[in-house]
Amino acid sequence: MRALNKKVYPAGWQVATVGFFLFYMLVPIISTYVFSVATRWDRTILPEGYTLEFYKRAFEASYFTTTLRNSLVLSLATVLVSLLIIVPTVYWVHTRLGRAKPLLDILMILPFGIPTVVLALALVQVYNFAPLARSPFLLIGAVVVYSMPFMYRPVSNAIQAIDVHVLTEAGQSLGANVFQVLAKIIIPNILPGLLSGSLLVFATVFAEYTLTSLIVGARFKTFPLLLVEFTRINGNVAAAFSVISFTIAWLVSLLILWVGSKGQTEKVESIQAR
Amino acid sequence: MAYLELKNVNKSFGGVAAVHDFSLDIEKGSLVSFLGPSGCGKTTTLRMIAGFEQLDSGTILLDGNDIVPVPPNRRDIGMVFQAYALFPNMTVRENIAFGLRMKKTPKEDVEKRVDSVLDMVRLQDTGKRFPHQLSGGQQQRIALARALAVQPRVLLLDEPLSALDAEVRVVLRGEIRRIQSELAITTVYVTHDQEEALSISDKVVVMNKGLIEQVGTPEEIYRAPNTRFVATFIGTANQFPGQTSEKNKVICVNVELLTGSLKEFNAGQSVVVLVRPETIQVQVERPQQENCNIIPGVVETITFHGAVTRLGVNINGQRVVADITVANTQPVSLNQKLWLTFPPEACQVMAAEE
Ligand SMILES: Nc1ncnc2c1ncn2[C@@H]1O[C@H](COP(=O)(O)OP(=O)(O)O)[C@@H](O)[C@H]1O
Ligand SMILES: [Mg+2]
Repeated sequence: MRALNKKVYPAGWQVATVGFFLFYMLVPIISTYVFSVATRWDRTILPEGYTLEFYKRAFEASYFTTTLRNSLVLSLATVLVSLLIIVPTVYWVHTRLGRAKPLLDILMILPFGIPTVVLALALVQVYNFAPLARSPFLLIGAVVVYSMPFMYRPVSNAIQAIDVHVLTEAGQSLGANVFQVLAKIIIPNILPGLLSGSLLVFATVFAEYTLTSLIVGARFKTFPLLLVEFTRINGNVAAAFSVISFTIAWLVSLLILWVGSKGQTEKVESIQAR
Repeated sequence: MAYLELKNVNKSFGGVAAVHDFSLDIEKGSLVSFLGPSGCGKTTTLRMIAGFEQLDSGTILLDGNDIVPVPPNRRDIGMVFQAYALFPNMTVRENIAFGLRMKKTPKEDVEKRVDSVLDMVRLQDTGKRFPHQLSGGQQQRIALARALAVQPRVLLLDEPLSALDAEVRVVLRGEIRRIQSELAITTVYVTHDQEEALSISDKVVVMNKGLIEQVGTPEEIYRAPNTRFVATFIGTANQFPGQTSEKNKVICVNVELLTGSLKEFNAGQSVVVLVRPETIQVQVERPQQENCNIIPGVVETITFHGAVTRLGVNINGQRVVADITVANTQPVSLNQKLWLTFPPEACQVMAAEE
């Protein structure tokens, strides 16, 4: 009741915390944006002039489209493979193998514990035969493992939040087989989890550098590789690349969110139509 | 031959028997309920019929065919769950149509069928809503409609009303019975609520610790319980442990009781006499009656239950409960001395356990 009648002002330290957080998060991004259009920015607080020259050079860079395409292919393929592996596994563990869940939870932290360089070198050593050796396929396999926790967590939480057992049995008693239950009942009900997992994986893989450079290198050059190359040539162009990379990641995120929310708006509309 | 037959079905979890040597015949079109305390194996048995749980041994025949090897989605057995289990991402209509779509039913037939079952559960106007926009009782009606839409051979219900309010429960159980008899669908109904089981079943299977205690019509179960467990689990019964003596008499710890024939017992055998509270009459003066149990006692508790008032009466140190209606007695007060009378037929004698 009190909260309703009296306006509650945030304490000073709350404002400070939030302010510091925003500053901490936004400054690097904003400076990258500014740097990508700055003519000269070492003698003054604000740049001395602005230009789109660096973007022109970025877009004109040889390999621009190839690396962009490679990055998109790599990220999307990883999202797909990850979904195909994680969703049935998590569903299976939740319905049939409850005891394996703690084990899976721990397994899914492992990729965080292994240094990427070690992972890359180990994979290159073990899979040193054709057609896998140093191929994009090996790279996809590697980034799937590397980004797996990002898919696993949201999917596992989403499945946990619904009554998988009962929904599965209800579906089966109505004549649906396991695939129909998964496709028509379980997946539509965990869609938000699948989307956030896909977003995290996409963004992570789109910016992945270490594995790519160590496993395939120049054979399958991705956008981050090109970006790092340019940091050695021209910082401003590298900044422009970063901005382009952000923008693409954002656009794809929005696209995924939009696709995902379509199902839900249809629901709302059908309720309102009543 | 019965429509659904369970033969010597056994199931244990981690070495502990959940269902033990369960054999039962269920007639086509009848409603049979499994009644028993929580943990007695009702759900496990139901899930074995549905195919969600594998049998350790035994067989289940449906219309003469062994269904044990058949996966649950091909058994043609509908199920209603305690937790409703409606699909949250689908509207009511889509939920009901789900089973028909799985069967690849033509679209017009699906629509007709959905309308007809919505009619049956009296929720014609809810078709476009989502499950979360319905009350618990409505959701359970839709779950019932969804299970019935595909015209299953058997309908299973696992405590379908336990999550609902008392009033809704009573209304809905009547509806379930009405629809069940209209469709003449073979139904197994699991409940731990004796009143529910007695009021809607053709037959009641009383279960305890994975075993069948008794199978019978609701009247048989209530009036002629086979075991002490059934007698005490269903309704209330006063228990008088004692030994049989000659001439239809049982010598109990506190009283001597006249009973019906004791032919099936040896003289001096340990038995328990059970007397239902509603068979006991209460009199202020000592009644002059032949061949009737007449026992003096002192009123210790009086509990008003609406239709009846339940008295707790002390007879020689044992508490006996008797139900009286306002119509047939004078007002009673605490610590009043009165006479309990009940005929020999009201005494159900059974051998003491062990
Ligand atoms: N999946 C299971 N794993 C282990 N024990 C179980 C499982 N399902 C049931 N049980 C045990 O079997 C017994 C019967 O359970 P259940 O059939 O659910 O009883 P009811 O439905 O009559 O309450 C209980 O002791 C229960 O703990
Ligand atoms: Mg149960």
